[in-house]
Amino acid sequence: MGKGYRQAPGKSGSSKKRTDGKREAGQQDFGVPGSGGSDPHSKLQDLDYVPESVGGWKKQPRGPHVHDQHVTGTTIGKSTPLVDANWKMTGQAQYGDDIRLPGELIGKILRSPHHYAKINSIDTSAAESMEGVFAVATGQDSANRFGVLPVTKDEHAMAREKVRHVGDLVACVCAIDEATAIDAMNAISVDYEVLPSIHDMEDGLLDSENPIHDRGKYHIGESNVQKRVFQQFGDLDSMESAPFRHEADWEVAGLHHGFTEPHAVVAHWDPSGRLTVWSPQQVPHYLHRALSAVLEIPMHQINVHRTFVGGGFGGKSDPFPHEMCAAILARKCGRPVRINFDREEVYWINRGRHPSRIQMGVFADDDGRIAGIETDALIDGGAFASFGHVTTYYNGVLHTAPYEIGGFNYTGARVWTNKPASGAMRGHGAVNSRCAVEVGLDAVAEQMSVDPMTLRLANLLPPHSRTITGFRITSTGMRECLAKVREQSGWDEKFRNMPLGRGIGVGCGFFISGSGLPIHWDPENFPHATVHLQCDMDGGVTVHTGAAEIGQGSDTAVSQAVAEVLALPLDMIRIRSKETDTAPVDLGSYSSRVTFMNCNAAIRAAIELRGKVMKAAHEITGYHPDVLVIGDRRIYYKHDPAVGVSWLEAVHKAQADVGSLIATGAYRTAPMGGVHKGAAAGLAPAYSFSAYVAEVEVDVETGFVKVIKAWAAHDCGKALNPLAVKGQIIGSCHMGMGQVLSEEMKYGRDGHLMNPDLLDYKIMSVHEMPEVVPIIVESNDPEGPFGAKEAGEGPLLPILPAVCNAIYDAIGIRIDELPVTPDRLHKKIEKHCKQTGVDDPLDLPVPRYEPSPLQQQLVERAEAHAARDYQRDIQDDRSSYVNGVLFGFDPDIPMSEQKEGWRESVTPTAEDLADPKKRAAKAWSHVERRHQGDA
Amino acid sequence: MRMPPFTLHTPNNLAKALALAAELDSFDWISGGTDLLPNYKWKLNSKPDVISLSKVQELTALSGTVIGAMVRIHDLANNDEVHPLIRETAGTIASVMIRRSATVGGNICLDTRCYWFNQTEEWRRSIDWCHKCDCDTGADCRVIPNQNTLCVATYQADLAAAFIALDATIHLASATGARSMPFADFFELDGMTRNVLKPGELVTHVTLPDDAKNWQGAYQKLRLRETWDFPEAGVAAAWKISDGKITGLRVATTGCESIPGDHSDLAQDALVEWVGKDSIRALAEDVRKAVKPVSNTYFPPAYRRKMLRVLTRRALAPLEHL
Amino acid sequence: MSIHIRVPMLPGAGKETWQANVNGEAHEHLVESNAILLDVLRDQAGTLGVKRGCDMGTCGCCSVLIDGEPRLSCLCLAKESTGSDITTVEGLADGHHLHPIQKCFAEAGGSQCGFCTPGFLIVSSALLDENPEPTRDEIKCAIEGNLCRCTGYQQIVDAVEMAAAMKRDGVDTPDATGPKSDPHPLGPDQPSLPPGSSK
Repeated sequence: MGKGYRQAPGKSGSSKKRTDGKREAGQQDFGVPGSGGSDPHSKLQDLDYVPESVGGWKKQPRGPHVHDQHVTGTTIGKSTPLVDANWKMTGQAQYGDDIRLPGELIGKILRSPHHYAKINSIDTSAAESMEGVFAVATGQDSANRFGVLPVTKDEHAMAREKVRHVGDLVACVCAIDEATAIDAMNAISVDYEVLPSIHDMEDGLLDSENPIHDRGKYHIGESNVQKRVFQQFGDLDSMESAPFRHEADWEVAGLHHGFTEPHAVVAHWDPSGRLTVWSPQQVPHYLHRALSAVLEIPMHQINVHRTFVGGGFGGKSDPFPHEMCAAILARKCGRPVRINFDREEVYWINRGRHPSRIQMGVFADDDGRIAGIETDALIDGGAFASFGHVTTYYNGVLHTAPYEIGGFNYTGARVWTNKPASGAMRGHGAVNSRCAVEVGLDAVAEQMSVDPMTLRLANLLPPHSRTITGFRITSTGMRECLAKVREQSGWDEKFRNMPLGRGIGVGCGFFISGSGLPIHWDPENFPHATVHLQCDMDGGVTVHTGAAEIGQGSDTAVSQAVAEVLALPLDMIRIRSKETDTAPVDLGSYSSRVTFMNCNAAIRAAIELRGKVMKAAHEITGYHPDVLVIGDRRIYYKHDPAVGVSWLEAVHKAQADVGSLIATGAYRTAPMGGVHKGAAAGLAPAYSFSAYVAEVEVDVETGFVKVIKAWAAHDCGKALNPLAVKGQIIGSCHMGMGQVLSEEMKYGRDGHLMNPDLLDYKIMSVHEMPEVVPIIVESNDPEGPFGAKEAGEGPLLPILPAVCNAIYDAIGIRIDELPVTPDRLHKKIEKHCKQTGVDDPLDLPVPRYEPSPLQQQLVERAEAHAARDYQRDIQDDRSSYVNGVLFGFDPDIPMSEQKEGWRESVTPTAEDLADPKKRAAKAWSHVERRHQGDA
Repeated sequence: MRMPPFTLHTPNNLAKALALAAELDSFDWISGGTDLLPNYKWKLNSKPDVISLSKVQELTALSGTVIGAMVRIHDLANNDEVHPLIRETAGTIASVMIRRSATVGGNICLDTRCYWFNQTEEWRRSIDWCHKCDCDTGADCRVIPNQNTLCVATYQADLAAAFIALDATIHLASATGARSMPFADFFELDGMTRNVLKPGELVTHVTLPDDAKNWQGAYQKLRLRETWDFPEAGVAAAWKISDGKITGLRVATTGCESIPGDHSDLAQDALVEWVGKDSIRALAEDVRKAVKPVSNTYFPPAYRRKMLRVLTRRALAPLEHL
Repeated sequence: MSIHIRVPMLPGAGKETWQANVNGEAHEHLVESNAILLDVLRDQAGTLGVKRGCDMGTCGCCSVLIDGEPRLSCLCLAKESTGSDITTVEGLADGHHLHPIQKCFAEAGGSQCGFCTPGFLIVSSALLDENPEPTRDEIKCAIEGNLCRCTGYQQIVDAVEMAAAMKRDGVDTPDATGPKSDPHPLGPDQPSLPPGSSK
């Protein structure tokens, strides 16, 4: 290949071009590692010539971006197959159950047959004496509690005093093979004393003789209320008197993530006494912490090894009791233990979407402004806290955008019941109430006789604004999302204009791009994400990150970010993201944080590495780094590209005195948010926005709804990998349509989960899936990596209301119950027929649209706001527009001096809770134990 | 999921299979395994011996009027010689992957299904079992408590409706001889006994009447998803038209009770004064009244009954203007 | 004490020899009479690319080719497959040349978490063997027995279409072991260190 630089082993390099004289005497000769490339020609890249299509910095659609000068490679913005794709293609990707260690034993878990019972005694002697059984463990082997949130640690590896739901862990065994383990498990005999169980979430609000958990002095009365939230912001008086209002009482079924890979775990204590746990985990770090607490060993004694994750969606982000069981068993018997779940056990561990009852009021005034949103959300947490503390907030606070609202009145409560625990699932906490808000808006638009598309466009918060509860919104592509779906779907011709049974609907969404407040520490002390880079003699770059690749493409995105800054081809980047031993601490893959936080950290690390390499290039070429350009594997003089050094030369030069190059980058969010209790919930450094239109066909005789097509516009800031972003959008539509049309965890009359298998838990098949047109909108977030925001969860939200609103357009029936299964819709159709005096549903009237004068007013406001938003996008001043200005709120004076009616309160008065219809508000009728003495 | 232990026998002809069956105390036949194996994985009434019919060549005949029990559903759905109604019905069964394993005999003899029964051993233990499995505990029916006699588990096989609509005959064999009967007579109204098969007896094949090709038909199926799901209700209708007049009409249902329903008498009555659309409506109403589903499958029974009316109407839609 | 009526697993069923040709390699294992093919492939033949998703025939993750036909290995008694040719996902590629379907799944985004991918690859490669130019509807019918929770199927159908075109056009997939990018490329017209650049 004619490379003057290549050295043969053992031959001195002095005759080559190393003429800088800085090499230390006695340095070993070496062959150039890594050479042998098929494409030795460097592609020139000059900052002045980075085209807009690959993220050029000159004509950004929404003004310049902090990373513009680091767009030097060619990977960002290009559809890129996942870097780990070939492992998956060839069957060599190892998931949880694919980890097979020599001498492994099989673990099985004995589970509770009762909803709620006291454990009087457990007799494991028969199991222990069986041949081939190596260890048996019970709750007595693990005294310490754990849980994903430090404030609500309420789980044990196995039940200690009480079992709290059918399927709760009672004991575990490990044996030579599965058959022996099952028989041993069945040989354990447990004496239970059955307690009265509760299954309806409203019963959880009441005092109980045996609350499912006892939180000591923080316990709320004697009830099963785990968390309650109260928030009142804005001009609630005006809201209450608003002329247009839609109030609905939603019943939303619980959901499971439905990932295809059942949970599995392998635990092994190595001869040096360190524990390695292999598990398909979204958040290895939380498991790391929990194992340390449960096993009472320091964290450095544990290596959590994330396997490939066969789908997570939030369902693999808690530290799980079975992971503790495997470690406990392996410790007892001295051999590796593997536990693999049956599908039913997956449903028992659950952590899916909360069953919810949501009372949603959406109010609008005579000017077509959204006067307020009033929400009361009671959510069913099942038997454990999991992420529920956060979910309780998210059900309210995540609908304070994208619209400018006059008032926000939220009461939320989460209760324990004797069901498998609910937790975090894609779109965490925001999905159900978002659906209710968007359906409410549609109904209000109907009352006002305006186009719901226009109503939304006339009430959007502008870029760089502050929501009513104090979230800082930076970029927003909401307006563009709406414009695009409106145009591409042919909205103006179709809306209220199609025959009975055919309908079109719109829905919007808004979601956090990473949680501003990390769960486990104070961001003042630790960054949110850290990435390490290492570059050795071979010239390739190793990325160490703890971001968990769960199929969403985080390994690819982080690699792309590094490759882009260093202008290297992606194949020179290799990523190590699996082991806590080698990865810097990371919060893992949840709350849509990875792209934003890890890529930002990776960019910083890459900039540091680049600085070192550029300095070396400066030493070789004599040109100052300011006039050097880093191009594709070559660093050259800006004004004469022929003058330059290769990447490898510069790297070797940089390594001369230090050896392997390393660099660290970290990311932490800017300080932001209000000071009220709960202000941090929902805070994020950026938010994604989306607008979907769905077109449906409703069979009025059977109640079947078929989505014909969906147009899905999502503002992800900047699509680092458009292929992956589109995949997330389409996949979100699939999951969201499942929730709106078919999926639910069905509980029978005695509280049993009736459908814990994939045949009866109705995930949509390829036949139910319509064509989805993914539309990427890029709002170029000023703080996002290359402008990017999240694309993994937000895209799920709008599809639910879009479908619900399309059903209304098709048959004139408002949805307030999910999923809209055919039997439920058929019931509504029958009722509707009765109300309208129609015998045959085929004769039902279809809603039609006659614009009122208000429509024109809204069109004009939307146009004026569009101009305002454009200015705010490109202007240098990025101070916040404050929610409420549209309603006469003066951001320059304190709350106490605003006109009467404005308030900001997170502690309820008796009057606030007086409405007897509100369910979650009842949670406040109890007094926390620590305050009971004061009463 | 771990299978309960059993011994698998694979006789290579029918005589050996029947002889083996006569010898064994307690066994199950297995053909495609798509019904039996999930039930075994869930430890539902597993037996110590299982006789596989996969090597028995005598059961694979397939022609316009003869359908062997071991014909795979996938082959049935894709064979041009097969009656269009049977083909259409077969093509709706479960998913293509299931159809590649499942057989005609297996589908006909499908075990009845129930939310309280088709669950894992752990799950059923949590409800203290039900009488279709583990009856020696004296467990009651969980769908309709306090009646420990009849099992109301639902028969959810599609083909039965089509076979009844086409007036098929089912043929059985055992070591002591062969017998045959009208297809509908094969079933017994109990979710536990299910059909007339005696110990050691099996279904060998199904035959259609010689004039079956002169009959047209349609199958309508209620299920949430267009793949995987069992019928929550299914209506097959077949009719014969001569000189622009309907000369024969048969209607059968499945997926609603412990046995498929033959409503051909109702259909025959309707033919007496056929006036097209209104006759269809009346007949659909009669079919709805004749069937009484219970609450043990995905959709609530009231809905399934109402849908029977719609499905019947839709199946008979081609006859609206006759 | 709660009632214990359970089907005992021990002693297991009698063992017999199972032999089959797995991905072109003759395998012989002692398996129990009640063994399921999926378990034998994963635990004894070592083809861990065959995935266990639901174990009940719904998800299709365990699909393998038995004598060229896609089948659910979770609903197949091992003994019934004795003597057959079995292809798992591990057997699709030709050495380090991916099968076109594998390459296209990667490039079209047909795989995210990848757990269902082996099943989809098996089923769609069989479809292309049987029907080299499937329509989108035919592709959907062929994959209706496989469940994917990540992709919403759209990019899977895209991938199968893409692979059909690739096979039709006779495009070969590259050898994955070919050299990757050279970290020491030459400049546009010049040797790596241009004259006069060094001090």
